[in-house]
Amino acid sequence: MSLSLAAIWRIARRDLSARIRGLRLLAICLFLGVATLAAIGSLTAGIADELSRRGQSILGGDVEIGIAQREATQAEMAAMRKAGAVSQTIRLRAMAIGSQIGGDSLLAELKAVDNVYPHYGALTLREGGIAKAPAKDEIYIGPTLSERLNIDTGETVRFGEATFKVAGIIAEEPDRLGEGFTLGPVAIINMLSLPDTGLIQPGSMYEAKYRIKLSADEDAAAVAKTLEAQFPSAGWDITDRSNGAPGTRRFIERMGQFLTLVGLAALVIAGIGVGNGVSSYLTSKRASIATLKVTGADSGTIFRIYMLQILAVAAGAIIAGLAVGSVMPMVIGWVAGDILPVAPGFNLHPLPLFVSAVYGLLIAIAFALPPLARARNLPAAGLFRAIVEGNARIDQRSAIWVIAAIGAIITLAVVTAREPLFSLAFIGAAFGLLLLLTGIAWLLRFIALRLPRPKAPLPRLALANLHRPGAQTQALVVALGLGLTLFVTLAAIQTSINNEIKNSVPDRAPSFFALDIPREGAAQFTQMVQQADPKATINMIPALRGTIVEYGGQRVDQLEELPDGAWILNGDRGLTYSGALPKGSEIVAGNWWPANYKGPALVSLEAEAAESLGVSVGDSLTISLLGVEIPAKIASLRTVKWDNFGLNYVMVFSPGSLDAAPHNMVATLTVSKPAERILAKSIPPAFPSSSLIEVGEVTAQITILLSQMAQAIAAAASIAILAGIAVLVGAIAAARQSRIYDSVIMKMLGSTRRQILGAQALEYGILAAVLGLLSLLLGMFAAYYVVVEIFDFSFAPDYSILALTLVGGAGLTFMLGIVGSLPILAARPSEALRSL
Amino acid sequence: MHAPVTHKADMAIRAANVTLSLGSKDASVSILRGVDLEVPYDSSVALLGPSGSGKSSLMAVLAGLEQASGGTVLIDGLDFTKLDEDELARARRGRIGIVLQAFHLLPTMTALENVAIPLELAGLDDPFGRAQSELEAVGLGHRLTHYPSQLSGGEQQRVAIARAMAAGPKIIFADEPTGNLDGSTGTAIVDLLFERRAALGATLLIITHDPELARKCDRVISMQDGHVVESAA
Repeated sequence: MSLSLAAIWRIARRDLSARIRGLRLLAICLFLGVATLAAIGSLTAGIADELSRRGQSILGGDVEIGIAQREATQAEMAAMRKAGAVSQTIRLRAMAIGSQIGGDSLLAELKAVDNVYPHYGALTLREGGIAKAPAKDEIYIGPTLSERLNIDTGETVRFGEATFKVAGIIAEEPDRLGEGFTLGPVAIINMLSLPDTGLIQPGSMYEAKYRIKLSADEDAAAVAKTLEAQFPSAGWDITDRSNGAPGTRRFIERMGQFLTLVGLAALVIAGIGVGNGVSSYLTSKRASIATLKVTGADSGTIFRIYMLQILAVAAGAIIAGLAVGSVMPMVIGWVAGDILPVAPGFNLHPLPLFVSAVYGLLIAIAFALPPLARARNLPAAGLFRAIVEGNARIDQRSAIWVIAAIGAIITLAVVTAREPLFSLAFIGAAFGLLLLLTGIAWLLRFIALRLPRPKAPLPRLALANLHRPGAQTQALVVALGLGLTLFVTLAAIQTSINNEIKNSVPDRAPSFFALDIPREGAAQFTQMVQQADPKATINMIPALRGTIVEYGGQRVDQLEELPDGAWILNGDRGLTYSGALPKGSEIVAGNWWPANYKGPALVSLEAEAAESLGVSVGDSLTISLLGVEIPAKIASLRTVKWDNFGLNYVMVFSPGSLDAAPHNMVATLTVSKPAERILAKSIPPAFPSSSLIEVGEVTAQITILLSQMAQAIAAAASIAILAGIAVLVGAIAAARQSRIYDSVIMKMLGSTRRQILGAQALEYGILAAVLGLLSLLLGMFAAYYVVVEIFDFSFAPDYSILALTLVGGAGLTFMLGIVGSLPILAARPSEALRSL
Repeated sequence: MHAPVTHKADMAIRAANVTLSLGSKDASVSILRGVDLEVPYDSSVALLGPSGSGKSSLMAVLAGLEQASGGTVLIDGLDFTKLDEDELARARRGRIGIVLQAFHLLPTMTALENVAIPLELAGLDDPFGRAQSELEAVGLGHRLTHYPSQLSGGEQQRVAIARAMAAGPKIIFADEPTGNLDGSTGTAIVDLLFERRAALGATLLIITHDPELARKCDRVISMQDGHVVESAA
């Protein structure tokens, strides 16, 4: 006859009420695991919802066509208008100059919009209200521009030749996300005002965008495809609403992939914590279990009593985890501020919460069942003699349940993953790691058992602690291996990103980039710079943009699809011509032309780009420059160092081949600090159509972005570390209990505290030494994956910090191991004996 | 699960050629080396012998806490050697009460809850009412809600006796029930044990080193090196 569930629950509740602390490791690990998963699920669901809700307004239309350095032709416009209502914007970088005489200037993103803008979403002003395009000669400016140039509504600002009256400060630009990375704050003018600025000259760098609004039932992707097919060689950059902000999506995908990694790591760690927690709880309950058996409880009843206790605590932890996880997106949105592309609001997302709860429950079952199945078989005779559990096998039914629960976890991870293979690979790697650590624990016990016994009692005790029946070596090796690996991973990620930040600012970066210097003003520009600093270094080259229309005899418009990695064929690309080999280049095939070369057009191609096209020296390459096709022959291939802030292009043409095309110049200027201040004030008024970019500002922006990213990565990874520490503390606390008995007896027999601590240090030292190297390798591998494969940074960890982290982690483990024994060791032997 | 093997129950305990060996194959220790024993219903037996003679092991085998390595063990007509661990646990319900030297109360439960446990496990009606009556019978009606840590040694042993008696067992096993108690408390506990046994009409098998206590029993059995060496009325 088996007891009713109510009767079982009564016994379980009575037994649990006084000892709920015993299950706190289970509760903490499950809470952390579920809260992490719920937070990640809610955050990504919140951002995805927001992005798809705002998909059209982010893009500014259903289909967007971007064209560089020119406006659409009449034929192109006619085709677009046939598809739907068209809104045109033109965006370019330009210097905003304050209205006061000698006022400051700032690089801004000037955006001219037509009267239709925006198709979707709303342009709102800080003064309130929804705005359309400003009136002619009026301008809306971004808050940063207003602050930096100290201009407010009603005052004026100059762009190029035109002066505008500020009609409002922009609160929200609806298509901001779709515009991608910008170097300066935005300023919006009416399309009709643009010619007055004089900024659009032949060769000027600008981008025209045409947003097409379709009727609700039209397939945007199909329309985009049809339009592209009509103008295959127009050099369009065409996007539809399903991919409104490709940069943002890439960011979300990368962050999502990393967060999945963190979530799965937290899940596996939580599982180990649950297993350890339940195991040590049931060990502390052995006397109670045996007593219950003496009074007539069968193994099924024992199993149900403790399963109910575990499920009750697990349910509490899961509910708490869901509660915290569901509000985390709001907290993250508040803390992260501008790092997130869109702010996730406080909405409950039932699906991720449900999935997190199921994960929690499955983890509790899968990892709690093995120790529970062993406990149910504890014989009643356990009261009469100390029973060494050893590695008692679990019964077949429990084994099937465990396998089913693990199978369900894997299925859930794969089914709910954005990238199932990635999740499957991670779970496989995690189980592989657990197997490896289990194997190492077994090997350690095997070797410790066979080593000659040390003569001194304390080393003998330390060695015996590793292999004796009931030793905690298994749990300690897994927890310590995992903990140290996590410490190393985080340290390697952090130091790599810090190095990335440091390396993003070269030691000898120029002071300014100057764009759109009129060709005829080049001499005056150089003179002004040399006046400000006679020792200035000026590197000025022509800047053009063209589209490759033919290579190696193959017309690009006849290609069915672009070759892999041939991004160079996408739309138009920057190019230049030069007599001398540009700095930072090295010829790897062919020869550079003589400085006074005057023959037919030659081109030098960057080696990787040439490889992607399958062309080499001697092959042909034709570019279209403002509609004129210029055929050239590949004269050489170069490798280029891109990260030195110099000026270089994938395609460099021979002198004389492109000179006739209208174009401007770009330059890098390296000047002294006082000259920097002089030029920042004198160049913009003298060259109103040019843009002067302070390299310091750009690097500061990049540094801020990278630092924010590093903080976000560290914060997310800390959750896994926190769970790892909980597991480590739990495993050490469980091991400590069995040490205390030995310590007290050794003390009674005359050992000093120093000797006893020495033995413990030796035991943990052996473990840390064995696991140190392994953790270093595993941690570096994990960090390499995160840094290089997910975030596309270079892997450059600081090895001295990694070594310190390992030593610190091992020291922390030792401290955790002994700190709980100290009160016992400090007591007199008689007191200590009573406390056993 | 095996069907319980029952025999004609003319004896509360009938053990024949019982052996018990513990440990692994390489280091096996023989604890019981062919014990024969018969104990009639409603009688009391004292089990004497030096430490290591096998008294507690014999009691563990007879109470179904340990599986005999060989021989036959019939308890109230049930063949305990044919039952597995769970069947033994179920066989103890309402049939066997056990009192141990170290009390072994559940530290997380009150006196009342400790006594109610075997009643609940046996599925008996009103477990808490019965437990309360039993605790009142052992003089602990005022300690119902106390935890073991709040009770003296004598009181804890009274709770253990109440727990053993509450389900009205036919056989009571007591392993040195006064071993952890002082002289006067021990005497009071022994009196209580015999009083409750008499009230239930149960069979009592008690392990003791105390000849005074042994004299209170109907029969005294002595053990040495895993054998019964003497049996006297």
